[in-house]
Parts: sequence; structure tokens; C-alpha cells
Amino acid sequence: MFRKTLFAATALIFLFSAVGITLAMERGNKRKGKYTYRKVYKACMERGEVDSAKPPISPDTKTQAQWTQTFDSKDFDQFGCQPEWAALSDKDLTDIYTYLHDHGSDSPTPAKCK
Amino acid sequence: MFHRLISVSFAILFLTATLSGCATQQPAAPAQATAKVSAEQAFEPFHDIVNMAFVAKHVSIPMAENVMLIDARPYKPKYIKGHIPGAISIPDSQFDKMTDKLPADKDSLLIFYCGGLKCKLSHKSAMKAEKLGYTNVKVFAEGYPVWMADKAHYPSVSAEWVKAQIDKGADMALVDSRPKRKKYDKGHIPTAISIPDMQFDKFQDQLPADKSKLVVFYCGGLKCKLSHKSAAKAIAMGYTNVKVFAEGYPAWVAYAGKASTTAVAATTITAGEEEGSIDHGEFKRLVAETPEAIYLVDVRDADEYQKGSLKTAVNIPIDDLEAKIKSLPADKPVVFICGTGARSGEAFYMVQDVRPELKNVFYVDGEMTVKQDGSFTLKKQPG
Repeated sequence: MFRKTLFAATALIFLFSAVGITLAMERGNKRKGKYTYRKVYKACMERGEVDSAKPPISPDTKTQAQWTQTFDSKDFDQFGCQPEWAALSDKDLTDIYTYLHDHGSDSPTPAKCK
Repeated sequence: MFHRLISVSFAILFLTATLSGCATQQPAAPAQATAKVSAEQAFEPFHDIVNMAFVAKHVSIPMAENVMLIDARPYKPKYIKGHIPGAISIPDSQFDKMTDKLPADKDSLLIFYCGGLKCKLSHKSAMKAEKLGYTNVKVFAEGYPVWMADKAHYPSVSAEWVKAQIDKGADMALVDSRPKRKKYDKGHIPTAISIPDMQFDKFQDQLPADKSKLVVFYCGGLKCKLSHKSAAKAIAMGYTNVKVFAEGYPAWVAYAGKASTTAVAATTITAGEEEGSIDHGEFKRLVAETPEAIYLVDVRDADEYQKGSLKTAVNIPIDDLEAKIKSLPADKPVVFICGTGARSGEAFYMVQDVRPELKNVFYVDGEMTVKQDGSFTLKKQPG
């Protein structure tokens, strides 16, 4: 009986930990995130670093897990336009993450940047 | 015999030359215009041709009661797209059916024009007018192309054309030149901004920065000079694509009947679950019962819009919205729509960022399918 209880408790602790890890990135506002994401590249184009205001990486280029990993590790070099990314607030990043994550390649609604 | 033949030939040549000379001197119209007419026209020209200086001298806003400038070209697409300010439309093909538009006084000055020296419509109409007993009929044979070649001139457009531009979300600044509080606030054409002619200098910075962009002025109808005065000022500032909707607001109400008014400014919108979104039930009710109470903007691309949109929606694709954000009205709720809520949501946040003073702005968050007839279904998106 004691062993069963111990096993159940361990399983529950493991489950909650796993859920906790998965939800490391909190959810933001995906609509606002889309606007902010596009605004980054508009500003970047106006500064002259890129030729197009179209974001170079579409939501559907990564799976949802890959987006979570990208934003957990704050690996933003791949996006280019570093001055604009550096200026984003944590709230902005969360919003952008939510937009990209919710439209990832394995999401119900994968999206491309137009 | 040979001598007789030579004599007869000389006589014929002399007679022909003399008659030709008489023919070129006969018309009372300016010689230059007449010469061009004779050289380029392959039809019987009207006998009384006038030039642009004559037309400019007699055209005024409002037009004098005993003067009528008549555009003899087809109403669509020619007249609605651009005509000489003050001109009325009597297409030559419709002349017999539209004689009631001509003045009762048969001594009135009638000036007909059409599409230039190769166009015979104005000549044909002028001849018909004379047969009806009009005694002072002229043809401005060089017509619309020559009128528009003068950089100080601008075309007048019609309500149909203005509505088509609004519907397709054309890159157009529509300017209401009437006094703001007394007129604009009580009703104006959707998307129009207010720059009263009296305060033109003060508010001219609301005009597009790009001076090649289309700017259309309107005011209170054919007797109102304000839009014409503002158009002249805009041209003097360097704007190159200026038009006047001279029939103005009364014609708009008669044609489209979809004025924006401050009367609906107090409309309160029930918000949806997401920030900035409108409640689905509220949206459906507004569209069904009082569509004029909201300013509906379809932010999808033009090709999507043309396949079907809500009847009162104007099209401003999301990529063009920032440039046109000043055209959104402040006196009624603005509601953005698209297919899923993605672009309309983006539009909502763009307004929050670029024009934060606009408080009454919403978007439809959900999957929206619109049919060609304007009917639609709306459902929540999964997740």
C-alpha cells in the first residue's frame, strides 16, 4: 500500500513538473504579437538593414515545441534586426511567441507571413 | 482644242481655290481651333467651334443660368470618371431622351464637348440642339483632353466613381471642404477627412505627404465653391492628382445614402472575450439592424474582398492601412473584419499604436465566411 502511494505521489510530481516545463513561456496576446512582429521588420527596413518589411521567418517554419525552445533560450539571432529585437519588452516577446507558437507547423492553424 | 482644255482646267483650279479660301473664312470661331478641326476630323464639323479660352470665360461655379456646358460622351465610364467642372452629362446617344435637361430659354449659350478633335459626338449633339431651336450653340472641339492638359485644371468626378474608389479601398484622400461642426459632424461621406476650406492652411498637413497621391475634394453640391477653392490650393501646393466631386454631399446621399454621422457616435459596443474584439452577437445585430452605425473595414486583400464582403464594408487591405489610418472616422465605431481575426486583430493593434486617440475601435475575432450576396457566417476559432 505504502509503495503504491509513493509511486502515485512520484508520478503526480513528475506530471506537474512536466506540465510546468511545458508552460515555461506564458501565453500572451497573439493578435498583438502579430502586429508587433511585423512592426519589428518595418522598423528594421526603415533603418536599412533589410529590404523588405516582411518577416523572414514564418510561424509555420517551426513546430510549436521548437518555438517554445527558441523563446525559452532567447535565441533571437536567427531573426536578424538585433537592435529592434533588443528593444522589445518581455510582454512584446511573449505576444510574439504566442503568435508564432499558435500558428506553428503542427498547430491547428499553421500560418505564413504574407 | 488643246488650248480650250488648258483654259477649262485653269478655270476649275481657280474656282476650287477660291471656294476653299471662302470656306476657311466662313466660321465665326477662332481660326486656330477651326483649322485643327478641319485637318483632323473625318466628319462634318459643327459650324461654330470655340476654343478653351472661350469655355474658360463662360464656365463658372456655380454656372450662370443662361450657360450650359454639356459633356456629350457616354456617362459611363467617361463622364463619371472625369469631366469639366460644371458640365452636365447628356450623352449623344441619349440626346433625344434627355432634352428636358436643356434650358428652357432657347437663347441660352450651349457649349458641347467630347473626347477631342477626332470625336464627333459633340458636333452631332450641337446640330440636334440647333434643330430644336437653340440659337447660341457652340462646340468646344478640342474637348476634354485639351482642357485637362492645362496643369491648373482638374476633373470633376461623380458619386458612382467616388463610391467605387471607396469600395475598392483606393489610395485616395477624400476631403470634406465644408465647415466641420455645422456640416461634416452632422454627416459626411465615409472615409472623408475634414479640412474646411476656411481652415485649409491650418489643416493642410492632413493631406498625404506624397503629392502624387489622389486627393478628391467635395462640399455641398454644384453651387458650392469650397471644394473648388481647396482643389486650387492643393494644386498650388504641388499636388498632381486632384479631383473634385462637384455634385458633392447631396449627390452622395442620393446615390449611396450611407453617410457617417455624429448621431451614431454614442453607439456603445459590447466587447468580446479578447481585447479589442466585438461580441459576435452584437456584431451580427449591428450588421442586420443598424449597419450605418458602424464603420466597417474589410482588411483582406482586394481580390478577397471582391469575391464577397459585407454590403457596408469598405476595403482597406492591411498592408495599406497604416497609410490610410487618418481616413478612419472618429465619430462612429470602427470595426475591422477579415477571414479569421488575424488581420483584423493586427489592424486593431495598429490603430492602438499609430492612432491611439481613436478609442472606439474593434475587430471581429473569429472565422468569418462571406458570400457574394453579403450574407455571412461567423464562428469562434478553435483554441
